[in-house]
Amino acid sequence: MKERIVDARWLEPPEPMELTLAALNILEPGERLRLLIHRMPHMLFPLLKDWGYDHTTHAGDDGTYEILIWYKEQVIPIGGPESS
Amino acid sequence: MNGQPLISLDQAPPVGVPLRFFITAPLFALAAALLLLWKGAGLFHSRWDPAMLGITHLLTLGFMGLIMLGAILQMLPVVAGAPMRRPERVAAFIHILASAGVILLCGGLIFTVPLALKIALPTLGTALLLFAALVVVTLRRALPQNMTARAMRLAALMFAATVLLGLTLLSNHAFGWWLRARETLADLHLTWGLLGWVGLLIAGVAYQIVPMFQLTPAYPARLARWLAPVLFILLLALAPARHSPALWSVLKILLAAGFAVFALTTLWLQTKRRRKLPDVLMNFWRGSMMSLLAAIALWLAAQLVPAIGDMRGYGMLLGVLMIVGFAMSIINGMLYKIVPFLVWFHLQSRRGANGPTVPNVREIMPESRTRWQMWLHFTALAVLLAAIVFPAAFVYPAALLFGASNLWLWLNIVAASRTYSRVNALLGKATASAG
Repeated sequence: MKERIVDARWLEPPEPMELTLAALNILEPGERLRLLIHRMPHMLFPLLKDWGYDHTTHAGDDGTYEILIWYKEQVIPIGGPESS
Repeated sequence: MNGQPLISLDQAPPVGVPLRFFITAPLFALAAALLLLWKGAGLFHSRWDPAMLGITHLLTLGFMGLIMLGAILQMLPVVAGAPMRRPERVAAFIHILASAGVILLCGGLIFTVPLALKIALPTLGTALLLFAALVVVTLRRALPQNMTARAMRLAALMFAATVLLGLTLLSNHAFGWWLRARETLADLHLTWGLLGWVGLLIAGVAYQIVPMFQLTPAYPARLARWLAPVLFILLLALAPARHSPALWSVLKILLAAGFAVFALTTLWLQTKRRRKLPDVLMNFWRGSMMSLLAAIALWLAAQLVPAIGDMRGYGMLLGVLMIVGFAMSIINGMLYKIVPFLVWFHLQSRRGANGPTVPNVREIMPESRTRWQMWLHFTALAVLLAAIVFPAAFVYPAALLFGASNLWLWLNIVAASRTYSRVNALLGKATASAG
């Protein structure tokens, strides 16, 4: 599955959210988005749910969070990060 | 909040709830500047002069108080995890009552109208005590490890105590009854207000905001855990210690040390930030912490050299450093993050997944506007301090600069709010045509 990456580590809020939403806007069917961020983006999740996206989160050892986002109607990714 | 969103779609009240407070508040600071312009150097004779008290409360209640009300009403439902019932009505009720109360109180003091003070008593009392109760009760539901919520609760308790003391003093002004402990109560009122309510609230907010927006390391865990409760106990102990000068001095020195540790830690964390780009919010915080340190240094100097404390204008210098320098700087800076964020977030959630694009936070509140207003604010602060020492030479420039700074702040908030209305209308049209 094709993937776009948004590296929002150490960007000031709400820049990570702005970049993520902008990337979702241009996400092609079948693509998914991998967001790298330095803190858990709690405020993003209700918006994703509202807009019909699903996500998984994975906390890395270096304090980076990886959030994998895809449109709900797509198949749930296999081998992606562990579910939240 | 630690591990908790500051806002969420399900619980956030409409954007108009906080904005109505934010749009009104700078007008009170502007009114204070106009009064300074009108009354001139004569105002600086005594900080206990009723007109000076009126101007002080235009800043502490009119500006600082209203912005705190708006910001906390916005945040409470999210912390509590449940939407507020009829948020617009609750906000309108508190906003109208508090604004009217501030106008009556300050107008009554400045123009010596006892009737206005008598009406201000129940008006302000209801709005402010209702609000304090709302905060204390709601934050009980926050997680116990949430240090920001804990400091905010303590600040709200201090706020309630400050309000009760203020109402007692106000009833004394309004009805002219004999109050033997008036000076002691007034001293406690301003200490609890500036250090308890404002100081603890800023510390609580800092634990969250400084690392999040300025990308600094977190505050040391022990400091975040203990500073607010220790300061709270020291502040409370001031009341019974009033009769023991030695204990009173020790408590005040410990308080000064506690706040100095907070200010120095914040400045130190700022040097460790990840991105060393110039930032308006960071500079507002830096200026605020330096004002706090200057106030502490001046107070300490007066303890060591009593002649400094006896100097004309000493109390007012402390007041300007704490109110305009420490509190208003941070509030001004915070508005430049909160307002564009709320506008953007509400527009973003309204547009849905496939709606038209909405302006980003930098377009809603351009840094070119906020940066220059910040310099105007700090220039006004410096000239205000000069005006206390040399009233004849600096009082008019100080009033003009302070007025211009707050007018500019108001215009910036109004511009963001108009952007919301304009884009919101466009989104409404887009939704209607899509439907």
